[in-house]
Amino acid sequence: MAEGMNTALNTLLDVLKSSGADAWEVSDREESGWEFYFIRHRLDQHRAKQIRAFSVKVYKKFDAFLGSATAEIPCDASAEEMRRTVDGLCSDASYIRNPFYTLNQPKPAEESGDPSAEPDLEAISGDFIRAMAAVPETETEDLNSYEIFVSKIRNHFMNSEGIDVTAVYPSSMLEAVVNARRDGHEIELYRLFDSGSCNREQLTEDISEALAYGRDRLITSPTPALGKIDVVFSTDPARELYSYFIDRLSTGMVYRGISDWKPGDTVAPPTLTLQAVKFLPNSSRNAAYDVEGAPIRDLTLIDNGVAKSYWGSRQFSQYLKVEDSFQASNFKVTGGTESAESLRSGDFLEVVEFSDFQCDAITGDIAGEIRLAYLHQNGKVTPVCGGSVSGSMPELISSFRFSEELRQYDCLQIPAVTRLHDVTVTGAE
Amino acid sequence: MKAPFSSYLAGIAPGLKELVSLLRKRYDYVSVLSTDSVGFSVSISQRAKSVARQNMTTERGTVVRVYRDGLYAESAFTGFDPSKAAERYESIVGELDAQLRLLKAAGVEPFETGILPDEERTVFAEMEMARLPQAEEIAVLVDRLSSVSDSGMEHGRAKGLTLIDFQTRASSTHVCKLFLTENQDLRQSYVYSEGMLAALVAGKERTDLAYVSLSGRKGPELFDDMDRRIPEVLRIAADLVSAERVEPGEYEVITAPEVTGLIAHEAFGHGVEMDMFVKGRALGAEYIGKRVGSDKVTMHEGALCAEDVTSYAFDDEGTPAGDVTEIDRGILRAGICDALSALRLGVKPTGNGKRQNFAHKVYTRMTNTVFDSGESSLEEMIASIKKGYLLEGMQSGMEDPKHWGIQCILDRGYEIIDGKLTGKVVSPLVMTGYVPDLLGSVSMVSKDREIFGAGYCGKGHKEWVKVADGGPYLKAKVRLG
Repeated sequence: MAEGMNTALNTLLDVLKSSGADAWEVSDREESGWEFYFIRHRLDQHRAKQIRAFSVKVYKKFDAFLGSATAEIPCDASAEEMRRTVDGLCSDASYIRNPFYTLNQPKPAEESGDPSAEPDLEAISGDFIRAMAAVPETETEDLNSYEIFVSKIRNHFMNSEGIDVTAVYPSSMLEAVVNARRDGHEIELYRLFDSGSCNREQLTEDISEALAYGRDRLITSPTPALGKIDVVFSTDPARELYSYFIDRLSTGMVYRGISDWKPGDTVAPPTLTLQAVKFLPNSSRNAAYDVEGAPIRDLTLIDNGVAKSYWGSRQFSQYLKVEDSFQASNFKVTGGTESAESLRSGDFLEVVEFSDFQCDAITGDIAGEIRLAYLHQNGKVTPVCGGSVSGSMPELISSFRFSEELRQYDCLQIPAVTRLHDVTVTGAE
Repeated sequence: MKAPFSSYLAGIAPGLKELVSLLRKRYDYVSVLSTDSVGFSVSISQRAKSVARQNMTTERGTVVRVYRDGLYAESAFTGFDPSKAAERYESIVGELDAQLRLLKAAGVEPFETGILPDEERTVFAEMEMARLPQAEEIAVLVDRLSSVSDSGMEHGRAKGLTLIDFQTRASSTHVCKLFLTENQDLRQSYVYSEGMLAALVAGKERTDLAYVSLSGRKGPELFDDMDRRIPEVLRIAADLVSAERVEPGEYEVITAPEVTGLIAHEAFGHGVEMDMFVKGRALGAEYIGKRVGSDKVTMHEGALCAEDVTSYAFDDEGTPAGDVTEIDRGILRAGICDALSALRLGVKPTGNGKRQNFAHKVYTRMTNTVFDSGESSLEEMIASIKKGYLLEGMQSGMEDPKHWGIQCILDRGYEIIDGKLTGKVVSPLVMTGYVPDLLGSVSMVSKDREIFGAGYCGKGHKEWVKVADGGPYLKAKVRLG
């Protein structure tokens, strides 16, 4: 860190300490990034970034209430600009009165399971560039374009209670557009992968899967009007299904009245276990502390279908009398008792590509237009396209079946195959 | 009054000009975009309150674009010290050269592009507004939003609704941007605001969220009469809790202006972003001059074709704002284009080069995307439907520019039987179809139109920017599920 930048942080801390704020939090976030944009395999543009800013939150105490206000302060703000902003926040905080809660206290993190070294932008970028150049394309299935984003994040968090912790980690993203063509007709499939650094083997596997789906998309028939049928999820959209369970146990959702789930309630299929986990291999969100300085640890949220714990921010956790919570970043779902193979039996529709599959965290409604699905009916498999899938998670949970095999999507490790019973499928014919 | 241009940007402009001069000795083209956008975001409900002197579009930083040997590169940074332009020069060149060494070692070839023109030009645009966000009395705004929340709860209960909460949100941004090249000095300053009122309502079997939004190229004065929208939110809440599931199938429908806007955005917004033409990702490239809709369909796109949240004077590449007629009476006439894609395609840029913020790359992006009005009244349109729905409220949309599939997730459908609204409501709705079929089925268009600018638009699943879209009521045939 440059000396001038340390001075800016020290100036900001001095301003906060003399501001009259009853408490404060500061996050000093630096991001160094390299980006590479390709059309086919030729370089469209390359970019570099060096950005830094201070996120500041000040608190004012009023008997049973706590006021707060936040701002992002530029790293080149003058002492006068910092003072003006912090004074404004102290004033704003006096009008925003929420029920009282306390800030996190210093607490050591558990031993990290993350063996990664200091991120090396050049090395990680090189890994991505070479991996994408070597993707096994064919004459009819290939890469249209791709964008590589590699960042080294340094986050230094401090608060008025004495927390002073720093996390340094890699964060990468790859966007890839795959083309497939046949008899003069061309289609595309879209992929966006988040990860820590480059896992070349996994990347090649994921892109190869997309290329294969592209090939099948070209030989689809319109989805028939199936009415109700079992639907199998085995690709990225499955994340939405499991995010429903995660969201419903966040203290923010519960406190706001969006979720009524309570520890002890049966909320999921009998064997489903959901854990917040501190570390997942190559996750872009492996960190020892959350954004409020609370240590992140492994925590069981659902145990064999029964809600066990909430997770979430300090404010909403305290409102629900959860003292030792944190903002979880990685999640793992286990407990499947069937094999992926056995879940693919009988008649079902396996949807592998949606235009945009969504699960509404408030209503539990699921919906998405089908871009590629495999209709398994009477022992015959037909690739289909068009029409939509819709349903309601509260109604579908009782029939939820999921595999013992797992698949990881960045910060979420979930069953590789999930089967929902009697889902509405609107046809394209 | 006019929104004053940033004194911070004015202060660093001489240093940035020095940086441009230094970089021009090494590169054939150099531009700088520097931003200083300030604002606030306030959220008030019965259960939680928050205030931030920032929002999704506040930013301060600089991005430098350089060109040499057929290749463009960019360097984005914060903390520019105008007295140390030479140090910044060394840092930019050092890092971009390190990237080039890596690319050379990997055997990467450039996608060669020509050089951007740099004709002499100055712009100083300070746009009209009533109040600045940075000068807004937060205490007064918090009181106003709290009053709306309280009133919403009270009136909702009086209507017999089981309201869990009534939320209000307000955010406002004073955007200031400085664009410099060797020959250009462009400065703009404008204010936009957006807000939302939402009722979290419990029905017999489900909880739902009813909302309305508001937006405009205005200051926080936009929020002065938010309370007038309360009855509309409560009407929607009552409709949602009484809603049934739709019987999947094809129906004649009337799309309300916010649904019309979503169709405009997904169909021939994304479908004619010409950076997709460069990559061969858009079917639209093959349909210029061809029919893509009925005679009733005319559509415009551009920062100049409406006054809303993204109605700027110039885009993030310094191209003046435009107004493109994309579809003229059913015939696809033109797309929208950023400056680099325009160079590659041999066309003129349309003022649609936008960044999420200074740290992000430019892509071709939408501004205001709107259908033109027609001749019918809403009453005539309803009367013309034998069995169908009036569609209101949008949740999300997704396009497929290569295949022209469209997905719109909508809030509510109001049943129409024999030309009359029956009072039955269906929710939620997944509207899917093939864009030319959908636009080809447009048979009536209403006289009035509305534009909505409270949402964000992504490119793929990233790069979020402000957009506005809308239009009149349209009568069409769609598939609902």
